[in-house]
Amino acid sequence: MSAAPRRVAITGLGLVTPVGNDVASTWQALLAARSGAALINSFDASGFPVRIAAEVKGLDPAAVERAFGERKLLKMANRAHRFALVAAAQALDDAGIRPTAATATRWGCVVGTGMMGVSYDELSEVQRDAASAGELEPARLLEAPGAPADPLVFCRSTANAGAALLMRVFGIRGYSSSVHTACASGGQAVGTALKLIRRGEADCVLAGGFDSMINPVGLSGFCLLNAVSPDNDSPTTASRPFDASRNGFVLGEGAGFLVLEEWSAARQRGAHIYAELAGDGNSLSSYRITDSHPSGDGPIQAMRQAMRDAGAALGDIDYLNAHGTSTPMNDRSECAAIKAVFGEGRHRLAVSSTKSVMGHLIAAAGAVEAAVCALSIHHGVLPVNANLRELDPDCDIDVVRDVPRKRRVRVALSNSLGFGGSNSCLAFRHPDEAEALARWRAS
Amino acid sequence: MNTRRVVITGSGLICGAGRNPAAVLEALGSGQSAIGPIEAWDTSGWPVRIAAEVRDYNAGALTGDRKLLKYIRRTDVFGLYAADRAIEEAGFASYRAALDEAAAATFADSAGVFVGSGGGSFANQYDFLPLIAAAGGNLESFGRELSATVNPMWLLRSLPNNVLGHVGIRHGLKGPNACVTHHSVSGLLALAEAAAALRADECTRAVVVAHDASIEAQMALYYHRAGLMSAQGLFAFDARHDGSVMGEGAGALVLETETAARERGASVLGEVLGSGNAGDALGLLPVREDGDALARAIASALTNSGIGPGNIGMVIAHGNGTPNSDASEARALRQVFGTDLPPVTGFKWSFGHLLAAAGMLEVVVALAALRARIVPGMPTLGTAAPHCEGLNLSREARVPRSDLALVLSRGFGGTNAACVLRAAAP
Repeated sequence: MSAAPRRVAITGLGLVTPVGNDVASTWQALLAARSGAALINSFDASGFPVRIAAEVKGLDPAAVERAFGERKLLKMANRAHRFALVAAAQALDDAGIRPTAATATRWGCVVGTGMMGVSYDELSEVQRDAASAGELEPARLLEAPGAPADPLVFCRSTANAGAALLMRVFGIRGYSSSVHTACASGGQAVGTALKLIRRGEADCVLAGGFDSMINPVGLSGFCLLNAVSPDNDSPTTASRPFDASRNGFVLGEGAGFLVLEEWSAARQRGAHIYAELAGDGNSLSSYRITDSHPSGDGPIQAMRQAMRDAGAALGDIDYLNAHGTSTPMNDRSECAAIKAVFGEGRHRLAVSSTKSVMGHLIAAAGAVEAAVCALSIHHGVLPVNANLRELDPDCDIDVVRDVPRKRRVRVALSNSLGFGGSNSCLAFRHPDEAEALARWRAS
Repeated sequence: MNTRRVVITGSGLICGAGRNPAAVLEALGSGQSAIGPIEAWDTSGWPVRIAAEVRDYNAGALTGDRKLLKYIRRTDVFGLYAADRAIEEAGFASYRAALDEAAAATFADSAGVFVGSGGGSFANQYDFLPLIAAAGGNLESFGRELSATVNPMWLLRSLPNNVLGHVGIRHGLKGPNACVTHHSVSGLLALAEAAAALRADECTRAVVVAHDASIEAQMALYYHRAGLMSAQGLFAFDARHDGSVMGEGAGALVLETETAARERGASVLGEVLGSGNAGDALGLLPVREDGDALARAIASALTNSGIGPGNIGMVIAHGNGTPNSDASEARALRQVFGTDLPPVTGFKWSFGHLLAAAGMLEVVVALAALRARIVPGMPTLGTAAPHCEGLNLSREARVPRSDLALVLSRGFGGTNAACVLRAAAP
């Protein structure tokens, strides 16, 4: 190991979200608090207890084809994979660097992926062909003409199908991994990527997350748990993190990707650096599978660890992109964690949950919100926590409400807390601060 | 090169060939294979009729908690069982019982959990088949009848990270964690990330467990139609090789920094030296003929371990029994080791291919074999398959050249992982 620790630069961003199919339009929507939630359009949700979601809209088929390069690969991709490839291509174009024959083995790819499964239509074919009474009759699978006979259904539903596509399309031949810790997946993927570069297993990593659960089966899962907001008549205000009247999250979908590079190499090639990916905190609540501990135990350790890992003090943190799902329990517990970590200093920490605008992108959320942190550092502007009318007294923190806030961000944090108890907190540092800190450490 | 030492203080497993390392080693030594007729469904007329299933499956007995079964599935039961055994062997409970409150809290916060998971199965979604049948294609009525028809716990039961969450809750472990769902390299990647977290001082102890239970009709049919399954058996590197055979189960280890293990006087079973991971970038199913990424994964595992190929005492090959994987693996081994190969063997003839759990199960068994100074033989060997000659394989048990083993895993997406283990003298 060399003496000076390897640091990591964020040099490219790509986003496909319910409020925009690229970085610029998503950022504008976040600043304008233009909600992506609406009545569900992609299937007939009229009988569901919850009929609203934040869907990706109008993704240009030409952009999808361009991202894939080869048409035949499109058949290997499900909806979330398409989001992933488009966002990843944007991130690489933005960074102005791609794996080459000479560098491919030094590139890694780490992604947060959603749950494995086939689409509702494909599942319906299984039912039609092999489960007419509702119970699978395996013998009938053999003659089934639909999904059970289609190798492409198998390819699309394999747990690492998205990573396999990304590696193939962009020619990444080094370390690769797919991770799933529910809503913490995206954050943990980016955290894993940070460590790969630090320990020298890769020089560049394409890191991100992608997910799409806005389909009859995915929506059902959250409806059954009463986790989603039932505000069918007012979709754009249904997601209102930290508001006293909040009543559940709004299901979103999309993808976020970052190009991460070893700092000095990025500097040497004159890359634009959005921010330093400076630290990763990762803990397990070990309380209950779906409930968060009322004290904030779990997220507390993740936030402290991220700051320690980044060498940042409490007073250095200017912005927290909260997990802030808008469920009564998450927001209360997350605020308890913020209070435990920051104490009175929490009033100098600006907090917003961009899920108020984009909805909850599940396995993609942490990666998309990592990109949002990089953008807030880059622009010196904090995006709005939309729909906050009456702050929950239990959420006694400084929420960025009504309008975006201009603020030079030295260090930003991003929380992602998942079902199963995994907590991810990432720390991002302004590039000038990162350079200054490096000079100070070297002297 | 890795400097801080990561030691192994507990191990556990479950698979068709046995429920503890000694039993599986015994099965390997006596040439017993768990591969047999599939019992999970009636396979009459099926092209796939064999697998290595876990027999006498009793989820309540395996987990010791009947109430938990509402929230987990078969694959999770295997993962919890293996993790419980590893933690038991490591003796966490008695050590923690003696700690004061502050020390116990520190123990919890600095103990991580790293999981390799299959990521789900097709059967997970079958909970919706009765509703789809009743709704007759009408989504409006699907939505209306949802709550009355489908198990409200469906999503929770289907979480790919259930073992991670439940191992943490059961054993009060709250440190860094990961759940890798990267097909058949998931187990070795979970192990690599756990060892890296210990070396970087992000935690002082970690439970690593990988689990899978993919022996289900729809999955088996897809694998068969992709040309990956054998109807007769798993004959890795042998001229008869014509596909793989599925297994199911889990493998688990407890890792600690050397200092943490010494502090509590834990007995050390072995050590994780280093690992490597590389990809072929050809897409989901193709396998590159020359085994390039596997050779690179092995090379970086050796470099990270601070050793050369000549130090390896035995190789546990991936050997999944499909002709193109076997041949490209053989090429990679020859590229790294030249003509002086250490004894090479494979285990899948006995307990099948456990997909996401394969690497961790094989690490656990390799450790037991190394400690017993045995390279288990492969009774399925006859004539070497084309391109698989000269691999230093044997039908008979041999003695490893050293106390180091190299374990290999390969998965969909052209992924390859390698890990080097050292055995402590028993």
